[in-house]
Amino acid sequence: MDTTHPGYEDFTTHFSTLISTMPPPFMYINDADAIQTTIAVIDNVLNHLSSAPGPSKISYARADAIACFSARLLYESIINSLASWTPQWEDGAVNWGADNGVKWNDTFDGFVHGLRAVHAYLGKGKEKEGDVRLVIVVERAERLIPELMVPLTRLGELARVDLCVVFVSEAPWETIRPPLGTSPDPYFFDIPPPTKEDIVKHLISKYSSHPPLKPLYTHFITTLCDVCYPFTHDPHELAYIAAARWPGFVKPVVDANKRDMDLDADSDSGEAFQPPSEETRMRLSRLFNPSLSLALDALYPRLQNATDWAKANEPPPNLLDNPPTNIKTALPSGEKEAGITSLPRLSKFILLASFLASTNPPKSDLRIFGRGLDEKKKRKRRASGKPTKTKGGVTKVAQRLLGPTSFTLDRMLAILGALLEENDVDSRIHRHASEFSIPGEETDMEISRVGVYAAVVELTSMRLLTRTSAVDRLDGPPTFRAAVGYEMTLCLAKELDVSLGDLFWEVM
Amino acid sequence: MPGGDAPNLDDISQTTFYIPYKPDVSKPTRSRLPESQYQERDFTEGPDLRLAAYRKAWTKCFDRLQTIIHNLQTPVVAAVVEEVHRSYTDILPGLPYPELPVICITDPIFGSSFLTELTNQLELPEDTPDSLFSQKTFVTHLHPPDCGNISSAMKSIVNGFVERETTLGKVKRKPATSLANYDITLLSTWYKALCEAEDFDAESRPNLVVFLHEFEQFDPIVMQDVFYICSTRIPDLPLVFILSTSSPTTSWLHTSYSRATLARLRVRRFALPSGAKILEDIILKTFFDVEFEPDVMIGPANIQYLQDYFTRYDSSLDKVLTILQLIHLKHFSSDPLTVLIHATPGVTSLSRPTSFNFIDSLAERLYAPSTQTPSETHAEDWRSITIPSLIKSIDEARTSFRSRARGIRVAFGFINLVQCFMVLQGYKGLGWGQQISLCDVFVDILEGSLEKDIKYLSIMVRKLRVEQLRGLLEEIQLYFTNIPTEEEAQAQIASLQSILPNDDVSLSELRGQVATGLSDWLIGYLNSRLTPLEESPLWDIWYTGLTPFPSELLNPSVRASILSGLLRPHDFAERDNESEEEDREVGLWELPDTSILFKRYLDSGKMINVYDWFESFKTVLETQAEKGKSSSGRGTPKKQKGKGKGKQKAVESEPGEWEGEEEEEEKWKLEVQARFMRAMQELDYLGFLKHTGRKADHVLRLVFDVND
Repeated sequence: MDTTHPGYEDFTTHFSTLISTMPPPFMYINDADAIQTTIAVIDNVLNHLSSAPGPSKISYARADAIACFSARLLYESIINSLASWTPQWEDGAVNWGADNGVKWNDTFDGFVHGLRAVHAYLGKGKEKEGDVRLVIVVERAERLIPELMVPLTRLGELARVDLCVVFVSEAPWETIRPPLGTSPDPYFFDIPPPTKEDIVKHLISKYSSHPPLKPLYTHFITTLCDVCYPFTHDPHELAYIAAARWPGFVKPVVDANKRDMDLDADSDSGEAFQPPSEETRMRLSRLFNPSLSLALDALYPRLQNATDWAKANEPPPNLLDNPPTNIKTALPSGEKEAGITSLPRLSKFILLASFLASTNPPKSDLRIFGRGLDEKKKRKRRASGKPTKTKGGVTKVAQRLLGPTSFTLDRMLAILGALLEENDVDSRIHRHASEFSIPGEETDMEISRVGVYAAVVELTSMRLLTRTSAVDRLDGPPTFRAAVGYEMTLCLAKELDVSLGDLFWEVM
Repeated sequence: MPGGDAPNLDDISQTTFYIPYKPDVSKPTRSRLPESQYQERDFTEGPDLRLAAYRKAWTKCFDRLQTIIHNLQTPVVAAVVEEVHRSYTDILPGLPYPELPVICITDPIFGSSFLTELTNQLELPEDTPDSLFSQKTFVTHLHPPDCGNISSAMKSIVNGFVERETTLGKVKRKPATSLANYDITLLSTWYKALCEAEDFDAESRPNLVVFLHEFEQFDPIVMQDVFYICSTRIPDLPLVFILSTSSPTTSWLHTSYSRATLARLRVRRFALPSGAKILEDIILKTFFDVEFEPDVMIGPANIQYLQDYFTRYDSSLDKVLTILQLIHLKHFSSDPLTVLIHATPGVTSLSRPTSFNFIDSLAERLYAPSTQTPSETHAEDWRSITIPSLIKSIDEARTSFRSRARGIRVAFGFINLVQCFMVLQGYKGLGWGQQISLCDVFVDILEGSLEKDIKYLSIMVRKLRVEQLRGLLEEIQLYFTNIPTEEEAQAQIASLQSILPNDDVSLSELRGQVATGLSDWLIGYLNSRLTPLEESPLWDIWYTGLTPFPSELLNPSVRASILSGLLRPHDFAERDNESEEEDREVGLWELPDTSILFKRYLDSGKMINVYDWFESFKTVLETQAEKGKSSSGRGTPKKQKGKGKGKQKAVESEPGEWEGEEEEEEKWKLEVQARFMRAMQELDYLGFLKHTGRKADHVLRLVFDVND
């Protein structure tokens, strides 16, 4: 019945048998890995059943719990879609059955009445009144409005019609089950993660262009799944990576073919495409295999989108004529931090200070930034700090791994002052102003300027700093947390010419 | 309030009273223009005329700046508009599901001017000839407050499109029985009807653009659902999201939004130019461009400040504009002579007696060099000055300054041309725009310290080969033909070009001759042009010179200014002009209440006993009252000085109304207490105090180490 989704045969048979014979009133389908595919399969099955000629007509509705963020949206979408009703703009986009002046969408009671009305409407003209089965599929049920959870699971009892509710979710039922046993236990389906072979089969079955290249595509997909399957089991993700890499992979072959066709344009070659030889295939694999894991790195977290990645990593023309070397892949990682260099100088210092304040414990500030400590003492602390770590039962987890802690604005400004005094004095335009006699006085002026506070707010709005205290709290100093990572801080420090190594309490 | 306009202040049930400010309408006060620092040299209409002159000069400069900014952002605007139109046509084949096109614009410095321009371009009227695309777009703007929760966010999006004026016209919907106004199905329905009504096909149908302003401020929890819902409707509903962000990086997108959400989007990034280059470009094209003549030339101190502020604190263009405007404002408000910037007032207005001081100061400036000559001739000179002759000399000074400034601009353009030519030919050049910031170059030029560079260039020119010389001469000639005033230079270049040998007869002597000629002429020409502007008579009318920028106005140090404000309030508030003894030590009793309290605060320890504080405050106030009484007895206006704020009025009026000793004593006590409370609350508000329950009647002092 369904050939496009290999691996779902058992589920399909089971599910369709249930639906077409004696469905339980409430089913729960759990799939943690490939929910999109599962939804597509369910849709396929129900579509097939509802259009099949038979004694019992099945009418089904799909509702997405995220899209139906209010009860009214859920009621409307279920009733309209059960009745196959499409609202028309010209009529003022009215819902089904509104001519009678009845509202189905305001309360759950109204909704139940609406369901009965739909049931009666669909059953008209049948030999037996009401010989219609309603199936309601709720996708992403974990996001359902909490108040609707219990009534929906008992919808069959409440509506007293032939009705089956199917929840589809990535979460297991145990985690979203309403408390106190208010919901009946569902009929469970647990979809196992798709196997590699099934995904390969599925992806190959989707291939549509250039039939002569299909063997090459089969080979390509097999290799791709070998590389990427350990990291993600979602066929959609694998198809996404395949879509990004395939144009580049096949380009040398297409180029070669085009050239050959140009060469013997006069000779009447019937075949438009010559499938590549075994040797070409081997060379292509050798050339492109390393780039597959790079594609995964860039595309799975969506550091770049597939279209742009495919463009950026297009192989050079006539690749197959060149001596065999690995092709270079463009890495998007560099450009991520590029923009930060255009920040104003003081903002960079603030980011640096905030990272330090978020990583170092407050008690260490005086020792790290305190003036008057000679170099020797600093070194000593460092040297003696290490052996103490080995003893003691529980090793402390490094702060860097625990994530940034929050700090008060005053503390950050103090660290900023220390940083500026060490690294920034020479770059000021009024560096020889006579009004400042005490060393460090000018820095003190500098860190309390309006520009500094404005920069902190600006950086917070850019999400490079996170404000942890409420905005409307006036009492006490505001607290913040660094939102830049270690790599970005290193990059900033390099640009500002600050030696960062001495400024961390724990060895990074 | 029940009492009408007179609130019942004795009502103990009220905690606060609002006493609205009622300006005195009987005296229509015309807002007074700020006086110049050298007011004694000004004439009556001076301030008004200067304001008009400022307006003219700033408008000219501002228009130029706007054009430059517009040109800087145009390429990005065009790219974004193109991306919006191509969002649904340029799709990678084989994708497992359609992605929601998202355009992320990183714009750290341009701000609203860019967004306005982009919106205008996206919503061009249909039959505009210069629109690149026949396709229409519908744009809806969303701001962070619109999207507090998912239903208001969806409502804004749906209504933004559905409620606009289209051929569909309005359809009356029954809110209860039709689709909800936050339902995306409603938008689909509307769009379908629109496409049918306007007969759009898949190619020409309009894209629906949702413009999210200040995207970082949107709640990610709400937005991820919005993206999810919208992505379920594509491509039937061709939605395109534009995110306007000011963050220079987009890494926060990956930390704030889940992978599942990002997987639904196709994010394309567009970054506007940023960094110090922008500022260099702006200054170059405004003040050092041959084609533009600014009314006021900014000096090296201002350029330095601008550069420092831009690279150090805030690199938004709004700030650059503000600083330039402030420079203009300051220039025109400080010196009365700046009134002469565009034209000289007529003889009649200058011969009025009120203008004599102005004329005197002018004559002093114009004929100052003659003081070196013996005194008799000097006197002669003075006698021979008439107002028409003065006007004539001013006009001459104006022309001479203008031509000198133009000379500098032309010379800079020339030197930059030679420099760029050298770099293109693979020589080291002067490193302008690379190692050396152009702003530093501008400063050097204005300070006249460019000899080294000129010398270096002239040496480099000597070493050029024949074909290089030919190329350079051609470029120079092209440069000078566009400048009509430089005929001499044109002639010189033409003559050098005529000597230059053809390729086949590349005699080394002739090459040497041309190279040396060019090099010598270059030195002579540049040295004659790059003379300091300060040497021109009356230069400070058109040039800000070394006047520093009032940086404390724009970027004050908060703590320092609050402290100095409290310690020396009279330096901030307007003083009466008659009190000339500026440096006199101001007595404690002469200060406003808050300052008195603050001085006492500084003398205290870590904890302050409020009662002791009050007592000491009271003593000072008593001194104040006594002094006030005695001075009012003498009838001198000194009393005014000792007064702080409006509070003092009560003291002033009191002496006459004294009736009974006791009643008056009571009143006085109340007043002192009220003034103390107010002053203390002011300090509290400023953050100097902390109330702890640790010790009764004590507050904690928070500010230490103040050296007054």
